[in-house]
Amino acid sequence: MAAAHAHAVGDAEYAEVSGHRLLGFLFFLISDCVIFGNFIFSYLYLRNAAPVWPPVGIERPYLYLAAVNSIVLFGSGATMHYAMEGMRHDRRSQFVAYTIATIVLGSMFLGGQAYEYTHLLPHTTWAGTTFGASFYTLTGLHGFHVFIGVIFLIVVLLQTLRGTYTQERHFGLTAATLYWHFVDVIWVALFFLFYIY
Amino acid sequence: MSVTEVGLPASSHIHPPPDTFIKKYVFSLDHKVIAVQYFITAGLFLVFAGLLAELMRVQLMGPNNHVLSVAVFNQAYSLHGTAMVWLVGIPIVTGAFGNLIMPVQIGARDVAFPWLNMLSFWMLPVAGILVFASLLFGAPQAGWTEYPPVSLQLPLGESLSLWCAGVFVIGVSSTITGLNFLVTIVKMRAPGMTYTRMPLFVWATGVTAFLSMIATANLSAALAGLFIQHNFGVPFYDVTRGGAPVLWQHVFWFYSHPAVYILILPAFGIVSEVIPTFVRRPIFGYKAIAYSSAAIGLLSFMVWAHHMFTSGLQHWEQLFFMIFTMIIAVPTGVKIFSWVTTLWRGKIRLDTPLLFVLGFLSVFTLGGITGVMLASVPADAQEHASYFVVAHIHYVLFGGTILGIFAGLYYWWPKMTGRMLDERLGKWHFWLTYIFFNLTFLPMHWVGLLGMPRRVATYDPAYAGTNFFVSISSFVLAAAILIFIYNAYRSVRHGELAGPNPWGARTLEWMIPSPMPYYNFRDIPIVLSGPYDYGKPLPYANISQDLAMTPVR
Amino acid sequence: MKPEQREPLLDSGFWRAVGVMAVISIVLMVGVVVFPIDKYFPEAATVSKPIDDLFKFCAFFGAPIFVFINGFLLYFAIRFRRRADEPIDAVGSEIHEHQGLELTWTVIPSLLMVVLAVLSYLVIPLYYPTNQAFASAVTLEAIGHKFYYEFRYPGLKQSVMNELHLPIGIPVTVDLTSAEDEQDVHNGAVIHSFWVPEFRLKQDMIPGIVIPIHFTPSELGTYRIVCSEFCGLGHSHMWGKVIVQSKAEFNAWYADQQRAAASPISAPLSLAGGNPSAGQTIFNAKCTVCHNAAPFAQRKVGPGLSQLFDDPDHPDLVTGKKATPDNVADIVEHGAHGDMGVMPNMQANGLSPKDVADLVAYLRTLR
Repeated sequence: MAAAHAHAVGDAEYAEVSGHRLLGFLFFLISDCVIFGNFIFSYLYLRNAAPVWPPVGIERPYLYLAAVNSIVLFGSGATMHYAMEGMRHDRRSQFVAYTIATIVLGSMFLGGQAYEYTHLLPHTTWAGTTFGASFYTLTGLHGFHVFIGVIFLIVVLLQTLRGTYTQERHFGLTAATLYWHFVDVIWVALFFLFYIY
Repeated sequence: MSVTEVGLPASSHIHPPPDTFIKKYVFSLDHKVIAVQYFITAGLFLVFAGLLAELMRVQLMGPNNHVLSVAVFNQAYSLHGTAMVWLVGIPIVTGAFGNLIMPVQIGARDVAFPWLNMLSFWMLPVAGILVFASLLFGAPQAGWTEYPPVSLQLPLGESLSLWCAGVFVIGVSSTITGLNFLVTIVKMRAPGMTYTRMPLFVWATGVTAFLSMIATANLSAALAGLFIQHNFGVPFYDVTRGGAPVLWQHVFWFYSHPAVYILILPAFGIVSEVIPTFVRRPIFGYKAIAYSSAAIGLLSFMVWAHHMFTSGLQHWEQLFFMIFTMIIAVPTGVKIFSWVTTLWRGKIRLDTPLLFVLGFLSVFTLGGITGVMLASVPADAQEHASYFVVAHIHYVLFGGTILGIFAGLYYWWPKMTGRMLDERLGKWHFWLTYIFFNLTFLPMHWVGLLGMPRRVATYDPAYAGTNFFVSISSFVLAAAILIFIYNAYRSVRHGELAGPNPWGARTLEWMIPSPMPYYNFRDIPIVLSGPYDYGKPLPYANISQDLAMTPVR
Repeated sequence: MKPEQREPLLDSGFWRAVGVMAVISIVLMVGVVVFPIDKYFPEAATVSKPIDDLFKFCAFFGAPIFVFINGFLLYFAIRFRRRADEPIDAVGSEIHEHQGLELTWTVIPSLLMVVLAVLSYLVIPLYYPTNQAFASAVTLEAIGHKFYYEFRYPGLKQSVMNELHLPIGIPVTVDLTSAEDEQDVHNGAVIHSFWVPEFRLKQDMIPGIVIPIHFTPSELGTYRIVCSEFCGLGHSHMWGKVIVQSKAEFNAWYADQQRAAASPISAPLSLAGGNPSAGQTIFNAKCTVCHNAAPFAQRKVGPGLSQLFDDPDHPDLVTGKKATPDNVADIVEHGAHGDMGVMPNMQANGLSPKDVADLVAYLRTLR
C-alpha cells in the first residue's frame, strides 16, 4: 500500500509495513525450504530404494573441496552478520566493506561449485543415475539461490551507496541478510546429506 | 487536517483512487476488483471444464461408443480434472472469495501486498493458456495426476511440458496468494479483533492460506522433477535407471491431499457465514469450528498416502495413513454437527444462499461417509481407482466446493454488485442442481463397487443402464447453471438495488455500502466482540447501529 | 425469564422427529446387516466376506449419520422457519455451545474410528504381507503388459496369457509387477493394476517392484481381472479372467499346459482345412480384447480386422509384409509389436496350430 502513493511515510507507518514485509519474507523463505525439503525427500527415497549407493560407476564427490567451499560460504554468513551490525550502528563503511566481502565469498563459493561440477561431470551426469539426478538438482537449485543472493546483495549495496537505507529504515537489507543466512542453512543440510552421510 | 480528493482525512491512509481504465479494471491493485477478475476468469474455465465433462458423458452413454476416440477421451478427463482443481476450484475459493471478503471482514483496506495480489491473478490466465495449449499437441492423457511412467509416454511431444509449466505457474500464484492472505490476517486485523472474534470465513481463509503456502511448494518441486525427466532425461521416476514411479505418487499427493482441503475449507467458511445470517442466531460451537479448521489444516499433511494403499506401501505406512485419515474425519464431523445444531431454534429464512448450504450439508455428509469407507485399507482394495472414488470426489468437490461456491455467490452478490439476484431463479437453480447432482453421482458408487474402473472410455455392458442414466442426469445438471448465468446477467443489468445489508448480517462487510467503495472503510472499525451475536447490539464501537438492518425478506 | 427457558429445550416435536429418524435408521441398519451381498455379487475368495463386512460396518454407522443429518436439516428447516406473523428481524436462540453435546459428538465418532481401524488392521494380513509370512501353497507371478496379463506358474515353462486358472480352496500368493519386452524402448513398462472385483482385491503392478497379494479362491466360476490404473491407450480394454476350477479340472489344465510346452511347434504352420466357424469362436474368445471384427479404424488396442485381406488403405500388415494368409498366420504365431501394445504369440495365447488355421480361415470370411 505504501508504494501506491507518494507521500512521506512516517516512522510508524514504515515500521508497520516493514513488519508485514518481514513476515511475508519469512513465509517465502519457509515455502522455499519446503521445496528443498521435497527434493531432499526424493533423494533419500531413491537412495533408500537403491541396492547400492552410490550407484555402480559413480564416485562420491570429493569431500575436502566441498568442506573448503562450505567454510567459504559460512564465512560469508559471518561477514554478512558484521555488515548488518555496521548498518545497525550507523557505520556505513563497515556495512559496505563487509557486504563486499560477502559478495566476494559468495562468488568464490559459486566458483568452487562450478569447479567441482567440471570435475564430476564427465562420469557423473545429471541424467545418468539417481545420484546425479539428486545431486545436481539439489546443489544446482542451491547454487541458483546463491547466485540470486549475490545479485540481491549487489543491488542492496548499490542502493546503500545511493543512500536508500538508514540506520532506522533498512528493511531491504534485513531481507537480503535473512535470505543469505537461509542459503547457508540449506547448505548445511546439503553438505551433510551428500558429503558426510 | 487536510482532506484527500474523496473528502476523507489524510490520516486515514486512503490513497487516491485509480484514474485510468487500465489501473481500474486491468492491472488493478484493489482486492475487490481482483476478486471479480478471478470470478470471471475461473468462471470461464469452469465452463470449459464442464463441457469436457459432458463430452465424456456423451461417450459414456453407451458401452462401446465411438463418439470420442480413446485418445481424445483421455485428454478430456485429464484436462477436466486439471482445470477444475487448479483453474477453477482453488482460484475461486481463494483468489475470488478470499480476496473479495476476507480483508473487509477483518476491517482492513486491502491485503498486505496488493501488487503481489495482482501478480497472482494474472498468473491464472497465463496458466490456463499453457494448460489448454497442450491440446495443440494432444493434451496429456494420464489424468490430473499424471502418474509416470505412462504420463511420460503419452502422448509424445511438448504437451506434458506445457501442462507442467501451466500447473507450475498456477502453483506459484497459489503460494503467493497464501502468503499474502496469511500476512494480512496475522497483521492487519482491525483494533479489537482478536483471533476468537474473527468471522469463521477468515479462520477458514487463514488455514487455507497456510496450506496454499506450504503445500504448494511440494507441487512445484514435483512438477519440476517431472519436467526435467521429460525434457532432460533426469531419472527420478525411471525404473531402468534407479528411479521410482511411486516417488512421484508420494511427492504429488503430499501436495494434492492438502490441496483438497484448500478446496473445501473456504467452502466450510462460507457455510459458517451463511447459516447464522439466515437463521439469525449465533453459530453453534464457534471455537470448535475454528479450531477444527486448524486441526484439519495440520492433519492434512499426514494423510497423503491413503491415495497409495495399492502401491506397495509398507505395512506400517498403511496403518499410519489409515489411522490419520480416520482421525481427520472427526473434526469435519464436528463442524457438520455444529452447523446443523445452529439451525435448531433459529428463525430460518429459506433464501437461496441457505438452500445451497443445506444442500451442501446434505450431500457432503455422504461424501464424508464414503471417505471413511475409503480410509479402511482393506475396503479400499475394492474401492480404489473405481467409479466409487469418482463418486466420492464429486460428492465432496461438487457437493461441497461447488455448492459452497454458489452459496457464497448468492450471499455476497449484493455486496459485490450492489444488486440483488432474483430469488425465484435462484430456487430453480438450486433444486435442479441438487436433484440432478444426486442423480448423476449417486449411481456411480455401485457401478464402482461392482467393478467399473476409472479413466475408461468404454466399459462392461453390465453397467450400460446406469451409465446411460448418469449421462442423461448430467446433461440436466450442466444445463442448470444457465439459470444462474441468466440470473447474473439480469441482475447486473436491472436487478433490484441492494443496500449495505440486505440480509441483516453482522460481519464487517455488511457495514459498508454495496458495492464496496475502493477504500472499504471510511474509518477503520473498532471491534468489541464476535460477529454472530444476533439480538445484541452491533459489536463495533464506531459503526452506526442502523446498519444492523432488518433483512429485506 | 426468557420464553425459551419455560419450555424444555428439546420438546415433543423434536423427539417425534428423532423417533422417525431412528426408525428409518434402524430399518436401514438392519438392511445393511441382512443384505446378502454374495447373492448379487460373488464373494469368491475367503477374504471377500471380511472386506464386505468392513464395508457393511461403515454403512451400518454411516446410515444413521446420514439419516439424522438430513433428517434434522429437513426438520429444523421446516420447524424453525420464521413464521409470517413473526417480525422480519426476529432472532433465534442464543444457545451457542454445549460441552456435553460437543464432547459426545467428538468422542463417539472417534471411538467408531478406533473400532474401524482395529477391524481393518485385522483384515489386512489376510491378503497383504505384514510381518508374518503367508501360509500359501503356491506362488505365481503376474506381470502386467500393455495391454494384457501374463501369468507364470511354477513348473510351467511357458507363460499363460490373460487367464489365471486356479484350483478352488488352495491359498495362493501372486507376485505382481509390470514389465515390457526389453527390445521395446518406446513402450516402456507402465503401472497397471490387478483387480478382481469378485475377490474384492486389488493391488497395482508397478515396474521395478514386486507386490505380493495373497488369497484363497472359495467359489467356482470365472471372474474378471480389471486394470484400474491408467496404462495407455489400451487401458479401457485391458482385462483378463480368473478361472476357479475344481482341483481335478485344474490339474488337467495344468497338464495340458505342460504338454504344450514340451512340444513346441517347429514346422511351419499349415493353413489347410481351417474351419471358419471354429475360428470365429476362437476370435471371440481370445482376440476381441484387442481387436474388433470391424473396419480398420475401429481400433481397440489393435486395428479392426474385418478388411484384413482387402483394405486398399492398409495393404501391409504391422510387420510390413503384404496381407496374405501366410503372413497373417506368421503374426499369430510369433506375436507383433504395434504402436499401442504388444500382441502375444500363439503359445502365450494358448493356440494350437489347428487354432491358427481356423482363425485365418475365419478372418478370410470377413468383408
